[in-house]
Amino acid sequence: MSGPTVIGLAFGNTTSSIAIEKDGKVELIANQDGDRAIASVISYVGSDEYHGAQAKAQLIRNAKNTVAYFRDFLGVSFDNVDPTNSHASAHPVELNGQASFSLKTEDDDEETGEVKPAKLLSVHEIAVRHLDRLRESAADYIGKAIDGAVIAVPTDYSEERRQAIVAAAKDANLKILQVINEPTAALLAHVSANGDSTDKKYAVIDIGGTRSDGAIIASRGGIFTILTTLHNYELGGKNLDEALVDFFAKDFEKQHKVDPKTEARAVAKLLAESESTKKTLSNTSSANFAVESVAQGYDYSLSINRLRFEVAARSVFTKITQFVEELIKKANLDVLDIDEVLLVGGTSAVPKVATSIASLFDESVTKISAPAFDTKAIQPDELISRGAAIQASLVAGYDDEEINESLQAVVTVAPHTTKSIGVKVGDNEYVEVIASETALPIRKTVTLSTPADATAVLVGVYEGASEIVVTKVEKEEKKDDAEDDESDWSEDEEDEEIRTKVLKPAAKIAELGLQNIPAGSKVEVVLNITRELKLQIAARAGSVAVRGETAVAHVA
Amino acid sequence: MVSTLPQLPADWSAPEGFSATATFSSPVKRQVEPVGPGFLAHARRTLRGRTWSEDEK
Ligand SMILES: Nc1ncnc2c1ncn2[C@@H]1O[C@H](COP(=O)(O)OP(=O)(O)OP(=O)(O)O)[C@@H](O)[C@H]1O
Ligand SMILES: [Mg+2]
Repeated sequence: MSGPTVIGLAFGNTTSSIAIEKDGKVELIANQDGDRAIASVISYVGSDEYHGAQAKAQLIRNAKNTVAYFRDFLGVSFDNVDPTNSHASAHPVELNGQASFSLKTEDDDEETGEVKPAKLLSVHEIAVRHLDRLRESAADYIGKAIDGAVIAVPTDYSEERRQAIVAAAKDANLKILQVINEPTAALLAHVSANGDSTDKKYAVIDIGGTRSDGAIIASRGGIFTILTTLHNYELGGKNLDEALVDFFAKDFEKQHKVDPKTEARAVAKLLAESESTKKTLSNTSSANFAVESVAQGYDYSLSINRLRFEVAARSVFTKITQFVEELIKKANLDVLDIDEVLLVGGTSAVPKVATSIASLFDESVTKISAPAFDTKAIQPDELISRGAAIQASLVAGYDDEEINESLQAVVTVAPHTTKSIGVKVGDNEYVEVIASETALPIRKTVTLSTPADATAVLVGVYEGASEIVVTKVEKEEKKDDAEDDESDWSEDEEDEEIRTKVLKPAAKIAELGLQNIPAGSKVEVVLNITRELKLQIAARAGSVAVRGETAVAHVA
Repeated sequence: MVSTLPQLPADWSAPEGFSATATFSSPVKRQVEPVGPGFLAHARRTLRGRTWSEDEK
């Protein structure tokens, strides 16, 4: 007997993707065009409906009858709809307080010559069409009807917006089992793929097409807790495309004395070619940009290398690094507190995005997970749907009631530690046992050694406090080495500063004395914080054991 | 890093070898993400009242 067929969905303003877990393996599902990153675009040519890349191609000739960048309009009252991204496609207009689009979806009557009028299609209806096409692609690929899906949304989505997506899916015959947060989905896919369940603080940075979203997530004992989020609705891959459009438009104008940016169709052509050139430059060091009949019949082509692109779009890269800095600042953290940066979203495939973000961190402390640094890393635009697929297969076996029960506040809201708790070792050193931001209850064990000839040891349980230690390292005399040209520009005279973070024992919680233990014993220390918020401590060396507990802590 | 416990000071004493000084800092309530196998285990512990050791089996 095989279980229900469930999928994971990422539904972005720019692209969507579908994934499925089968026998412990997650795979992306391509649509009929062979695309795994499916453009979130719907277009009508008469009564023919186009979807994905085919609909996106209509932005050049048929922009008014093409709907793009609509996801963020779902469940939002029309007053709060930002139409900025719609200027080169169907514009949102109000219908019953919601966004809708005036579209012609019927063929004119050839016999009578009757011209069919445009109709208003609500953003709900457009989303239904999009999700229906995605469901259909998945069903075709798997060869079975889809029984359910887990879908991911940005962390700033209100309950209303989440429900609007569930309702659209329902009308597309797609049952949503659970709506989860995008960065959590991405992180789940990442840690599942590399089997890394260690306690870490992650910065999950999602640079998409039209927006950027950041989240600081604590992973503790396999439980994820979002600590801080940040959003920028005006920063994404589209800005890179526009920087390239400007670059080529200026060059075109120089050659032909015509500004192609004054013609909507020319801009649409330049934009489409710019995006494809940008993507090529993620994999190769140069690309050929070529557009036929840009404006006034002039063709245009130019070869561009990666460096030229990086210079043309410099301000976008600066904004992306500022976004990451701002996120860390908002979380009241130091870059040294971040164990790993997970880069998500299509734009994270751009090498300069990865290297600019990496330059904020100390590579010996913070791992940067992106294709630019790890060729085995999952493609950043596949992480969200993969994570959703993993979650879908986890909950597939439960009925609705069981899923809803586990989503209640009694389960999802938990007290979390605010400080690290550990044991004092050596000469005022510290071993962390329970990290800060750990969901309670929790039980953790650590095994420590004892001095060679000691028959009695002290187990001091403390809260840890982190300190940033700055040491100055005198700069070596720069050799006048011709090979060293890359770092030539950083010729500041100052000594280099090395910042390191150390945890030290701070507030004492309890002490345990272990006596008459055999020399060379190993000591196992168990810290157990109960549901009642009592910390129970047990230390054992062979047959010698001591235990005790603290008073109940109170939730702040 | 080898973590070695300090020797017990000669004058250290506590009833039954345990002395508590304080409790840990006040925890704060946060929302955990209802996602992944770690959360499912947490949900089972919370809803079915399972203990850690039952969970480890
Ligand atoms: N290989 C690549 N190299 C460079 N950019 C890429 C690559 N693949 C996709 N992109 C860009 O990523 C963006 C889409 O990102 P993503 O798939 O994360 O979309 P999204 O989440 O739908 O975006 P939005 O922020 O609009 O909601 C587009 O700008 C696209 O050009
Ligand atoms: Mg996105």
